Formats: sequence, C-alpha cells, structure tokens
Amino acid sequence: MLITLEETVALINEGKILHIAADESLLDKLPKGKWIGGTTPYFIGEEGGIYTKEKLFVNEIGVAEDIRVAVYGKYNIFQIVEECYDNGLTMLIIPYGSQVAAKYAKEAPEVEELLMHPVIGWISGLSLDGTGEARVYDGTTGKYYTDRAVAMYLKLPEGKTAMVNMINIFSDDKTDPIIRFNENDLSVEKCSVNGQEINFAEYIEKKGIDTKMPLVADYNGSYINTSIKSIENGRVNFYASVFRNIDYRFATDVGDYAAEFRKRIDAAEAHAPVFSCNCILNYLYGDLNGKKIPPYAGPVTFGEVAYQLINQTLVYCEILG
Amino acid sequence: MDAVVQENLKKILGGELKYTSANLAFNMLISKMQKRVQADPANAEACMKEMDEFLAKYPIVAKVDLANIAAL
Repeated sequence: MLITLEETVALINEGKILHIAADESLLDKLPKGKWIGGTTPYFIGEEGGIYTKEKLFVNEIGVAEDIRVAVYGKYNIFQIVEECYDNGLTMLIIPYGSQVAAKYAKEAPEVEELLMHPVIGWISGLSLDGTGEARVYDGTTGKYYTDRAVAMYLKLPEGKTAMVNMINIFSDDKTDPIIRFNENDLSVEKCSVNGQEINFAEYIEKKGIDTKMPLVADYNGSYINTSIKSIENGRVNFYASVFRNIDYRFATDVGDYAAEFRKRIDAAEAHAPVFSCNCILNYLYGDLNGKKIPPYAGPVTFGEVAYQLINQTLVYCEILG
Repeated sequence: MDAVVQENLKKILGGELKYTSANLAFNMLISKMQKRVQADPANAEACMKEMDEFLAKYPIVAKVDLANIAAL
C-alpha cells in the first residue's frame, strides 16, 4: 500500500514487520524498527503506476513469527542460504550498480542450496532524471548502504510455506536462432548463434533487433529474461547476467503490455501476494503509469530477485498453507 | 516417495518425459539437474537426491507436482 510518512512511522512504532520502498528523502526520516527498505520513486500502486517522492510503498508482513536482518557485501552475500530460517522467506534488496549486485547476478544460479530456500527481492534504484542514489536500508540500525545488500529473514509458522513466483509477459519463438555465451557475465563481446561465433553487437545491428526485447531462456517452461542495458564499443551490456551453457533467444514482440499482464495474471491465479515488484523497463516500455494490475502492487525496480536476478519481470510471493 | 513418481522423475531428468511445474523454483531445479545429468550421466543419482529433498522440504507446494508427475 502507498501511504504517507506519518502513517509509515506509526506502523514502525507499533512494532510491525515491514518492507518499505520509497525515495531516500522519506526513508531517511523513518525511525528504527523491524523494517528493511530500498530506494525507488516508481511504484505500481492500487490506483495504478505512479512516480512519487511523497509516499512510501509499505508491505506489512504479518505472517512472520520472527525476523532477523543482516547486511552483506560481495564477499559474503551467499551466506543468505546458511543464515535463513529453515522454514521461512528471505527478502533481499541490493543497490543498483553495486559490486554486490554484480556478484549476485553472476553467481546466484550456481550457489548450492539456493533453490531450497525461498528468496525474493529487488534491485533498488533512483529517479531516471539522475537525481538521488540507489540505497538499501537496515531499519533495525537506521543505517543505509550503497554498496551492500540487506536481507530480512522471515520465520514462518509451521504449516505455512512461501512460494516465490513470477509473471513474465515474454516468450520466444522456437524457430529463432539459439544464442549462447561463453561466460557468466554482465557484459559480452562475443556469442555463438546456432554454433557460429560472432560479435553480438554486430549481430543485433545486422538483424535490426529491438533491444527493448529481452533475451529469454527457457528453464523447463519458466522463461527467465535478461535485458539489454546498452551497446557500447562493440560490447553488449546487460541488467542481469547471461550464463554459459544456457540457450537464449530474443523475446517476441509484446503489443499491449497491460493487456498481456492482465492475461498472465489471470492465468497465474495468485490471490494474495505478500509482496510483489515489477521492472522499471516494463513500467517504461509498457507505459504502465496510471495502469492498474491488481492484485499486484509494489515497487518498480531496477532488477528483480526470484532466487536469481532476473529482468523485465513481475515477481511475487504468496504464503501457502 | 512413490515408485511411479521416482521413475517418472528419473525420466524427466533424462529428458524422456516433459513436465513443467507451476512452481518457479522447481522448474529452475529441474533445468539445473537436467544440465548436470547431460554433462555427466553419473550425476543422476545425486540429482535425484536433490529433487527428493526439494519435494520433501515443501510438501504443501509439492503436493500438486507429485500428483501430476505420478499421472504422467
């Protein structure tokens, strides 16, 4: 829910367990308490997509029996799989452009045990006019970080289970060529297309590919997106990592984003997500400002975490049982 | 775990059967395990164990998958 600073302070002072997304000018004013937060001025509110520095998006996590909050850098981020509750949910926020974000993007899929513990989260960002900075906040200490990730471990009652899922409006055309990469990386020069090694930037230019369309990889029927950030000096830079030994194709075009979301949301049949977030690229390319996609409301983010870092996707978590 | 489920899971790992779950984590795990088995078939037993552990850890979520896999 999008609420005022005063309403948020009241919830913190009541001892509620909260996830908070807002502009840093608001997060800086919050008292210590059981919360974590991250920066963004973009949201999908109950009334539709909105850019605001006047309100905070707050998720109250009433189902949690207990919480712990921890802060991690690039050398210890994967301790999250050891320090989480055995039956719980980990909410993770990582600042955009940080080394810990790059580390998580490149290495998360290869971490043993990662899929055994539900992890959901997002990459905090900033206004696209360039003002502000991407931060994460540990509400238990009142400190903020631009180079560290913050994790909130939520302990769930026996008989309850967290299920992390996503809504991805993109898919591929299986007749398109398969693109593969040699390394796990956020920036590449070369790729192979149907087995032939070529310069990826030249391939994109030659084929006239719309770089608003992400690369998609089929993980047993779940499509995972990797979005192109820029093409510079013959290199293609991504918002999340591409991985070796994964087959990629460019996504097929999506006409009406909001309508496509509506279709996929109806198919997903999620009723009461405790948390969701959606990608800034969906917000921009899909012109989601002012458009509602209930029951999903939350921060608009610079990357989404559903176990691993993904792009151009809506991620959400439901508590089952 | 039911013998039919066990057998079908082995076939899914080996690519002889196709099964897509509604659970993202399970699809990611299947994909990861299939790649391990493709890289070296000797990994099959360890991969089956990992799948077993995953399904046993979250019975509420796994219930539907187990029923669907049994019916393949």
